[in-house]
Amino acid sequence: MTFKNWIKTITFYEILVGMKVTISHLIHYRPITLQYPHEKRTLPDNYRGMLALLRYDDGTEKCVGCDLCEAACPSRVIRVVSAEVPGEPTKRYAKEYYMDMTRCLFCGMCVDACPVDALGMTREYEWAVYDKRQLDLNKEQLLAIGDRSFPVREKQLELQHPNVAFFNVAFKHLPQKPG
Amino acid sequence: MTELSLRLAVSLAQIVAEMGIVILTIATMTYFERKVLAWMQDRMGPMEVGPYGILQPVADGIKLFFKEDITPAGANKAMFALAPMLTMVVSLIGFAVIPFGPNITMDIFGITIKPFVVADINIGILYILAIASIGAYGIILGGWSSNSKYSLLGGLRAAAQVISYELNVGLAIVGVLLLAGSLSLVEITAAQAGGFWHWFIWGARPDGYFPIHTQIFAFVVFIISAVAETNRIPFDLPEAESELVAGFFTEYSGMRFAFFVSAEYASMTLVSCVAASLFLGGWNAPYPGTIFGYVGLEQLAWVEHIAWFASKVYFFLFLFIWIRATLPRLRYDQLMRFGWKVMLPIALANIIITAITVYFFPR
Repeated sequence: MTFKNWIKTITFYEILVGMKVTISHLIHYRPITLQYPHEKRTLPDNYRGMLALLRYDDGTEKCVGCDLCEAACPSRVIRVVSAEVPGEPTKRYAKEYYMDMTRCLFCGMCVDACPVDALGMTREYEWAVYDKRQLDLNKEQLLAIGDRSFPVREKQLELQHPNVAFFNVAFKHLPQKPG
Repeated sequence: MTELSLRLAVSLAQIVAEMGIVILTIATMTYFERKVLAWMQDRMGPMEVGPYGILQPVADGIKLFFKEDITPAGANKAMFALAPMLTMVVSLIGFAVIPFGPNITMDIFGITIKPFVVADINIGILYILAIASIGAYGIILGGWSSNSKYSLLGGLRAAAQVISYELNVGLAIVGVLLLAGSLSLVEITAAQAGGFWHWFIWGARPDGYFPIHTQIFAFVVFIISAVAETNRIPFDLPEAESELVAGFFTEYSGMRFAFFVSAEYASMTLVSCVAASLFLGGWNAPYPGTIFGYVGLEQLAWVEHIAWFASKVYFFLFLFIWIRATLPRLRYDQLMRFGWKVMLPIALANIIITAITVYFFPR
């Protein structure tokens, strides 16, 4: 042990250096804490929060009951009961639609899988409840989440840009592809 | 009213006042420690109860008071109930001999009392050492009677640690006793009057300035051993969270848990008072006399004295928190080696050197 190290040992040099660090943090006090319920952090633009079912601007549901979201979901959150639209044998819709949000890991694969953009991820995250059965959401609840999170709705597919997918070519009484 | 009952009543009033101050200090310390620790770690600490969380000690007290009091199955019920009481009582009665203010006497209803020290006994420091040793029993009993392996390990560690470091505390203060020539804390403090160069940490003779009798090594040994004896980080092996859950009070809940925690803060405050009295001149100001005395308000000098004593005690309490925020926990063999192979020789050498200097340069 050199003389310098010996002096450092008997004067507790390393401990004093550490104490200087802590006291400098006390003097230059800049907490990184966010007082959560009172102030909330800014969410990133691509934040993946609570899932929601969406509607078109005329209030009809976007979902066509294709079950692709159910197939894409890695956690088996989604359960779709598909059915024909009464009186229109070629059109289908989700008669029942359940999401067990206790299992959801917010990966967003169902949103990517949806061919008609019927699913959306909102920026809601404060969904703590006392009873976990309240997190087994049905179609009405999911639509309500979509209604309050996405007030600006898309037009019906056939009224959008001419190149988007369009399935009802054989039915002349339905709105036609514009232009 | 007989003189005896009057004396009893006055003493009781004094004790109640002092206990109030000590318990208020404990409550303040629980808040202060969390705040300072948080600030040093770039956090905020308690912020919810009251402005800046100032009512957090009250909320904690109410919460702990109404918590369920659990006695574990297979615990020795009598010992389990006795341990927190023993620890709490022992850490509180040590304050009886601490002089909070100047050594003046006053007459109340015809009897003479010293208002700033409850019991001016002539073996004050010996009394504190004895009381601190009994405090170890509370910890060991609590650890043993809980019927839990973590508690038992914590209690065993506390026993070994307290015995090792109490020796160093006892040896570190011998130098001070040689200089003061008394075991009474009142007289030890009074011997350091007249400026900071007369404090025993500097150790000038009463007629000089040169630190011929300096007790700085004894002071360092005393502070380190005091941290170890109060089971504070970095010597908190008896309650090491990461190894032993909570050590000797793992199985305690509610008010009994609160007793153990309060006892820790009370013994922290006690060793701070002792360190201030022995080494930093207690209630003496770092300059000769008092400012109130110079401006002609001699009857208010006790305010200044008490302020100096409180500031020294709070400096030590802050130092405890500061060390806690800085250092990690020692390993058990490091703790023992440091106590026996480093602290003990320094304390012994300090006694010899102080004895030689006092012999050749008597005070």
